[in-house]
Amino acid sequence: MSKPALPKSRLARVAKGKRPQYFSDPATDKLLSMTLTLMEELSVTRERLDSLERLLASKQVLAQAELESWAPSAEAALERAAARTAYVERMMRAMHAELEEITRRGTPASDIDPLDAVGS
Amino acid sequence: MPAFNRHAMQPVPSLDEQARQDFVCSLRAHLSGRLMPGAYKVYEHRVEPSFRATNGRNPQDHDEVRKAMTLDPFYQFWSAMQRRSQELLWESVIDPTERQLPDLIETSKSLARSANQSGRGTLRLDPALPLPRYHAAVDIHLQPGGYHTEFTEDDVAAGVVYDKGINLYMGGALGAENNLMGDILLAYLRDKHPDFRPKKILDLGCAIGNSSVVWARAFPDAEVYGIDVAAPVLRYAHARAEALGVPVHFSQQNAEKTNFDEGAFDLVLSHIVLHETSKSALPRILGECHRVLQKGGLMLHLEIPRGKSIIEKFMHNWESYNNNETFSRFMTGIDLKAEALKGGFVDRDVLVDEFAPKLDVAQMNYAENFFWKILAARR
Repeated sequence: MSKPALPKSRLARVAKGKRPQYFSDPATDKLLSMTLTLMEELSVTRERLDSLERLLASKQVLAQAELESWAPSAEAALERAAARTAYVERMMRAMHAELEEITRRGTPASDIDPLDAVGS
Repeated sequence: MPAFNRHAMQPVPSLDEQARQDFVCSLRAHLSGRLMPGAYKVYEHRVEPSFRATNGRNPQDHDEVRKAMTLDPFYQFWSAMQRRSQELLWESVIDPTERQLPDLIETSKSLARSANQSGRGTLRLDPALPLPRYHAAVDIHLQPGGYHTEFTEDDVAAGVVYDKGINLYMGGALGAENNLMGDILLAYLRDKHPDFRPKKILDLGCAIGNSSVVWARAFPDAEVYGIDVAAPVLRYAHARAEALGVPVHFSQQNAEKTNFDEGAFDLVLSHIVLHETSKSALPRILGECHRVLQKGGLMLHLEIPRGKSIIEKFMHNWESYNNNETFSRFMTGIDLKAEALKGGFVDRDVLVDEFAPKLDVAQMNYAENFFWKILAARR
């Protein structure tokens, strides 16, 4: 299986400017961010499943019972693992955003490089 | 969601990307339509009474409202979700844009080449133009990289992302070509000055030229110019206008000081741009409008109302505190007429107007029963 090619130019995913803190514990802010992403991804998944099941039914390809007893091939399992990795990456964006904020050049917090801070 | 016209400069989302964009619209419709009114309710039933019990008086201004509201658990949760929905919105557009960027750049170049050959719209960039601080200090509306960041050579990504982003932001209510803001100001001109036939029009802070195109369509005999400080949105604006078959002349310039001749235009416009500038830039921009307008020419700036009661003023400023509209909260206290006078206009020729347009397009609920603020002046 070939690895999907990375796009030539990576666009930014985090906006410049301090993110407000909404709750007394910043962990709550992150949890809520993640929950909404999770909500989004569940909606995406349901729609994809719905598309698929409608297509299969309309083409009379599949009965519901067949779906329940199916297992992925080795190749399919690898593809699904890559998709899950990307999914987790999106779910963890709130954490990456914080890291990006504290490591970005030109912001006061960027004086501390988290890698240097722990020593070699 | 209302239709959004297809053109050559749009990325095609995958099935899942489309589902993400659809979800963002559903989420935002709920947050804005169903939960946001709740913020007014908690103010009335919980925050204001509690403030009164503690202080023996009501909050005096929107800053006091803000201090009290940001401690309210309902407001906190709604506000945090509204913020996250804006981030999800951009992410849902950035993914398909990033994947198809090389093709979109090629398409933009080919559209620019054919415009060049046929003598239609033009694009003039000025890489030496400094970005004003109010533009570059934070990414406006949380769009990662803002209007100006170039991620690669001949980049158009900021424009591609912005176009679909504002379509999602308003759940499609900006119209099939994100034309609502242009339509409102055009409706105002036709309502107040029905016989005015502009020959040369300048659209300030035009970004992707969505409003510039509205004016070029409305007055096909007029020359339409659009300026902005950000190159990637202008490249996109040019390609988009050409893809739509509408000639517009775009150039990279700062509205505080342009290189247009004195009296070059008979109509100068901006569409919800002034609240993204700064205290010092605002009178300079209005002064520049005065300079480039010919005698008898019109200046029209569309602005967002800032609210009447203190809770409305606070809620209208949500975007300022939570969506990187740094200057917009200061607009609450600014006298636009006084700013226009600083710019050289004469008192009797300046009007700060309210306008609730009656537009033909059925889905434009946002424009109905909503009083827009318009700064109008005659040179």
